[in-house]
Amino acid sequence: MSDSPQTQPQSQTRTKTTGSDQPLETTSGETVEETRDEWTEYNFDGEAKMVAEDLDVYYGDDHALKSVSMEIPEQSVTALIGPSGCGKSTYLRCLNRMNDRINAANVDGSVQLDGNEIYQDGINLVELRKRVGMVFQSPNPFPKSIRDNIAYGPRKHGDINTGLLARLLGRDDSEAERELVERALKQAALWDEVHDRMDDNALGLSGGQQQRLCIARCLSVDPEVILMDEPASALDPIATAKIEDLIHDLAEEYTVVIVTHNMQQAARISDQTAVFLTGGKLVEYDDTDRIFENPQSQRVEDYISGKFG
Amino acid sequence: MAGATRSPLVEGDTTVTDAVAGATVGLSAMLFALAIAALFERVNLTGTVAGLSTVTLLGGLLIGLGVAVSVFGLGSWFGYVETDPDASAGLIAGLGAAVPWFVVGGGVASQTLGFGTVGGVVGGLFVGGLTFAATAVPREDVGSTVPLGALLVLVGAVFLTGTIGPAWIWNLGWEQQASITAEFLVPTATLFCSLYGGWAAAKAYGRFGARGRHMGAYVLIYVNALSIVAFLFILIAFVVVQGISGLLNGAQVGAGVGPQVFGVVELPVYVPFVMNGVALLNDFQGVLPAIVGTIWLVVGAVLFAVPLGVGAAVFLTEYAERGRFTQIVEVSTNGLWSTPSIVFGLFGFAFLIPRFGNRKSLLAGMLTLGFMLLPLVLITSREAMIAVPDEYRDASAALGVPKWQTIRSVVLPAALPGVVTGVILGVGRIAGETAPILLTMAGGTFVPGGQTVDVIGGFEFTAAPPFVANPELLQATSALPYQLYALITAGVGLGSNVTDPDGFRWATALVLLVVVLSFYAIGIGARYYFRQRLRHE
Repeated sequence: MSDSPQTQPQSQTRTKTTGSDQPLETTSGETVEETRDEWTEYNFDGEAKMVAEDLDVYYGDDHALKSVSMEIPEQSVTALIGPSGCGKSTYLRCLNRMNDRINAANVDGSVQLDGNEIYQDGINLVELRKRVGMVFQSPNPFPKSIRDNIAYGPRKHGDINTGLLARLLGRDDSEAERELVERALKQAALWDEVHDRMDDNALGLSGGQQQRLCIARCLSVDPEVILMDEPASALDPIATAKIEDLIHDLAEEYTVVIVTHNMQQAARISDQTAVFLTGGKLVEYDDTDRIFENPQSQRVEDYISGKFG
Repeated sequence: MAGATRSPLVEGDTTVTDAVAGATVGLSAMLFALAIAALFERVNLTGTVAGLSTVTLLGGLLIGLGVAVSVFGLGSWFGYVETDPDASAGLIAGLGAAVPWFVVGGGVASQTLGFGTVGGVVGGLFVGGLTFAATAVPREDVGSTVPLGALLVLVGAVFLTGTIGPAWIWNLGWEQQASITAEFLVPTATLFCSLYGGWAAAKAYGRFGARGRHMGAYVLIYVNALSIVAFLFILIAFVVVQGISGLLNGAQVGAGVGPQVFGVVELPVYVPFVMNGVALLNDFQGVLPAIVGTIWLVVGAVLFAVPLGVGAAVFLTEYAERGRFTQIVEVSTNGLWSTPSIVFGLFGFAFLIPRFGNRKSLLAGMLTLGFMLLPLVLITSREAMIAVPDEYRDASAALGVPKWQTIRSVVLPAALPGVVTGVILGVGRIAGETAPILLTMAGGTFVPGGQTVDVIGGFEFTAAPPFVANPELLQATSALPYQLYALITAGVGLGSNVTDPDGFRWATALVLLVVVLSFYAIGIGARYYFRQRLRHE
């Protein structure tokens, strides 16, 4: 990884406003409450993993995301909630430039990963997406065996070689691959269920297992940030609970950003919550407890209490 | 339907009615089979079946079927049979019943009564209109049985009374130079009558109404599907029966009787027809050069067209922006696929042959057929790749895997079964193609064994560029479809050393069929293999 210029660790990463500023912020927020419609200054301890500044996204003429600025703290779970069409998935897809894959999408603004701008010429998309992985709404394993699904990323990146040529040259990484697959599956809490059928087709797994397989596949390339786009919305309550436990455990090592429609889910698993409301605006961003117990914005309170959206 | 209040007596009745209706359906199936057999001359019209003259038997069975069907309808009308009929049999049933009555009415008016063409049309319209009304106006049980039953009884009576006997013939006059004979008319009329009778009997079996319509449609669709499969097998069986004797002419089984392969092993079977060419001193003549030529042609065309077609499909699906350009490519590939094969042949003749030593050659044939195959491979590969879910591409991109790697490892494997299907269809077309071969690589009517191409052994190294040459590819050789065509057009004389020209022709056709079906089998096997690899467990 160190061969890539934009991955150099930088000590002068944007430091956060510390706790001493907090009373001031709160005071100013309360004094101008009638005139403000955004409470997006979120002060937290520790480093910001990703920072978005004035991010605008247009799909053709549709202004899907309006000037969103948001800092995501590392090794925590950040939940993005809001009604359908509010831009939360769009925002998520900006963080690893998956919006590039939509021809009509036009992104304006800045997103930084560890202080490095990702919207700049010469960005190495392969490296970016290795570091910022993504799990999709519906489980999408490849029509391959469980092992091939997990090993797909590392194989394609050349991290492990198991082909015929590698075997002939004596550079067979089968053992490394076995360990990598086992580690990823154990991290995704799937190993016990599938370790004796690694060569079966992944499409034969249940929906919840498939989604955990996709998480394991994402972990196999050793990302730093994991983006999840409603990862449990297609699953039953038991599978959802397993995924939620998993997300909780992942936050010890990774920075997790999760989009969800389910407010109870956001309350259960996230450390901080960002509320997007209709029009593609980030309205409030704060500790999850504060968002759900004492939101600053009347609109957010209405949304959370079910009066709106 | 008050099923719970029905008395046991009625249930007993129901079973008997069911049995009789089922037997009626069976009777029409038997008539259908008899009609097919008579049409293909497996049953002789002038002969006897089970001790009865064939035409008499057909007539009797038709009358029986017609009476049974009508009795069902009338029984339902008068309430002897418990049914659930609709108010009308419907317009389509009316039109269906009117068509045969139009033919009968028109025929009787114009020919039997001598009213001429106009009178025939008027008479046909009159009778057909009456039938339409008789079918569509009354309640369904009568409408869909009695007019058809009457038709069956009429046709049966005509056969039974000998009005149309085995020797009956209707000359259409010198202008048409044609005549309708009993051998054609009797089976055809029986065929249609058995279908109508079977339909009506099936409706009766289903107690009319929605269930009856379902049963009627079920019988017709079943007969339709069965006939298609049956015709296919009849076709293959016909070629096999005609060609097998020529194919096995002089065949031997035993240790060491066969020719040597690879210079060492002697095959334990000897089938001269597929192992010999034609030579003056041969005991038995064969078509080996054409078989080898056909196989190489198809292999060459596939090797040429598949990489190009799949590559173009990858470009169009994964790289090119959807727009005017892809539309134009799409339209022109569709157009190319519908282009007549002789035009491709002409292209090969005018463009390829002057560039390959100015003579007909195997290579020119391969490329011409490859050009024919190309559009289909392109179209089907493209469809198959478009059908690969975008989720796979997203998942791969989110792992940071570059586009080409994604295409190679995810998109192509998922699209392979579809690509193979396209190649199977295309090979089926080009393997039997005669016209392009005629113009680009024609061999001859009888090809000596010495002209068998040896493509693999033909490669040789040369001192000057391009360093590798293969004169075998530039030789004219033969292929089975062309040889078959040449054998047929060569007439009855043929070569003096072929003792049974007809057997030789049929055997060639059989070998062509076997070769093409073998390519199909290989393709279907490959598709099964690739599907298994993607299988949902």
